[in-house]
Amino acid sequence: MENKGKVLMQKYEFGKMLGQGNFAKVYYAKNIKTSQSVAIKVIEKEKVLKVGMIDQTKTEISTMSLVKHPNILELYEVMASKNKIYYVMEYANGGELFNKVAKGKLREDLARKYFQQLISAVDFCHSRGVYHRDLKPENLLLDENGTLKVSDFGLSALGESKHQDGLLHTTCGTPAYVAPEVINRKGYDGAKADIWSCGVILFVLLAGYLPFHDSNLIGMYKKISKADYKFPSWFSPDVTKLLSRILNPNPKSRISTAKIMTNSWFKKGFKLKSSHKTAEKDLPSTDTNVVFGSEANTAAFETKNHKDQLTKLNAFDIISLSSGLDLSGLFTETGEKKEVRFTSMHSASAITSKLEDFAEHLKFKVKKEVGGLLKIEKSSRGQKGALTIYAQIFEVAPSFYLVELRKSSGDTLEYRKMLEQDVRPALEDIVCTWLK
Amino acid sequence: MGCFCLKKLGHKPGYEAPINLASETPFTVNEVEALYDLFKKLSSSIIDDGLIHKEEFQLALFKNSNKQNLFADRIFDLFDIKHNGVIEFGEFVRSLSVFHPNAPEADKIAFLFRLYDLRQTGCIEAEELKEMVTALLCENNMSLSEDVVDLIVEKTMMEADTKRDGKIDDEEWKEFVKKNPSIIKIMTLSDLKELTLAFPSFVMNSGVSDLQQPVKN
Repeated sequence: MENKGKVLMQKYEFGKMLGQGNFAKVYYAKNIKTSQSVAIKVIEKEKVLKVGMIDQTKTEISTMSLVKHPNILELYEVMASKNKIYYVMEYANGGELFNKVAKGKLREDLARKYFQQLISAVDFCHSRGVYHRDLKPENLLLDENGTLKVSDFGLSALGESKHQDGLLHTTCGTPAYVAPEVINRKGYDGAKADIWSCGVILFVLLAGYLPFHDSNLIGMYKKISKADYKFPSWFSPDVTKLLSRILNPNPKSRISTAKIMTNSWFKKGFKLKSSHKTAEKDLPSTDTNVVFGSEANTAAFETKNHKDQLTKLNAFDIISLSSGLDLSGLFTETGEKKEVRFTSMHSASAITSKLEDFAEHLKFKVKKEVGGLLKIEKSSRGQKGALTIYAQIFEVAPSFYLVELRKSSGDTLEYRKMLEQDVRPALEDIVCTWLK
Repeated sequence: MGCFCLKKLGHKPGYEAPINLASETPFTVNEVEALYDLFKKLSSSIIDDGLIHKEEFQLALFKNSNKQNLFADRIFDLFDIKHNGVIEFGEFVRSLSVFHPNAPEADKIAFLFRLYDLRQTGCIEAEELKEMVTALLCENNMSLSEDVVDLIVEKTMMEADTKRDGKIDDEEWKEFVKKNPSIIKIMTLSDLKELTLAFPSFVMNSGVSDLQQPVKN
């Protein structure tokens, strides 16, 4: 069916087809209202039903919404009609990374840059229990800034290349990127299998050709199983050392992502900031849905003219702290709150210096802003870039304060872990009560 | 095409067609279908009858079906538009729509006014305000002396009750919210923007016609 020019759900206007597979076609499209470019994957339900993958489809959508990372193609929303499912995704207009390799091997520093971004994405997903299982050239895209975007994370079951025998095949019919244990159809560790594929990808970037190739499939399987490959002469000793630890046929002794990230070749010039420039499109819920006190609306309080004066809470501000008024619990199973709040009878300056002490202890940078607002920033890198926390002190009544901590950027899991392990114990002696 | 199956098998009483609910709320048909998935879960957590009972509402909010809370009670009462002690699917969608980031601010302001008007007199009296502040302090084991509570209430009344009659009427409330926009932040749930990703089951049984969905943005 020709979709070009058609409008989906009065929201997206279809453009040209970008790609096609067994289950789906991918189109370029534009959000009519915002002009944002997107890629829409149109899946025929009938085909999904035929291969009995209904449940996987649902799990995959949930999984994909879990893995928001600057180097992972984002799923914005899902739509459906009677016969079709539409995945509205981030559009990477730089095309496939491997179009670059097709023109010749990459310089070592450029290959490293892409590899860093790839490992960063893979490590992030693994920390969420999500495995790609089908990392291959077609899944590595570039956006207009040249930032790597891994596609189809969590989409493995609907991957175009998975045949009914459960084996992974690439479109050209070669398992060139697949780990030996996957070929041998043993139960395998998704994390280690992904790392193997990353190794093959790095090899291809630097060499301009595959490490394992043979005129027939059986021959290729044999080479993969024995990790039978040779480094080209131009590979530096550091990179050959790293690659031999990745392309280790034994998944148990194969290097982990954590270890790769401490490798000296890998670490060179590892600037998360650059790859995270467009980064941290964290769920808006985490950042914007605060009860009060975001930078934008502090002005709404009486602090405008007094730099050091605290924002005073009125009776309705106090009421809105009730857990009974926070309906976000309806949408989650865990009941985790977005902000952490506590009350204190210590003076505002005592609270401030306590927060500063603790931040310093954890090697965080602290910046004082107006109206009892503190910006606390972690300088070392986290899985999704620098962790930034805002702490704000409000006056409830004379000598009675409310402190609110909220994450402004950085990884949510890392933030929660830090709250439980470091923040709560460190602040215990100034806290009167932690709010529910 | 364009015809919706209104009596799909398996729908419980109180079900309303997503297309109708979408036409009167900021939600798309798909989003209403996603909300139905959530509704099914919430309405069957204790009694599987297609209706959200008070205990099921408390369980969802507090992960505890016995936890009483003044404000949760008020929200439940407002969601229960027909006042029959349960929340039906249509009531659930229409009430939640007020919390949509794109819902009109006036609706949010009015909803919150009714919520805080505990005795439904058409005004928020100073006593009601004190009762609510006390309830919040109690909920969080915050012990403030009654004098301090009175002071907090008085101060807010001074600002809000411009007619000085001891209560905040509709008009005064609108003015007060204009000056203190932070107090209606609780009326916006960003979760409502990610419904299709959070509850994707609808994709397999959506009733929407292909490429012709009559939906507004």
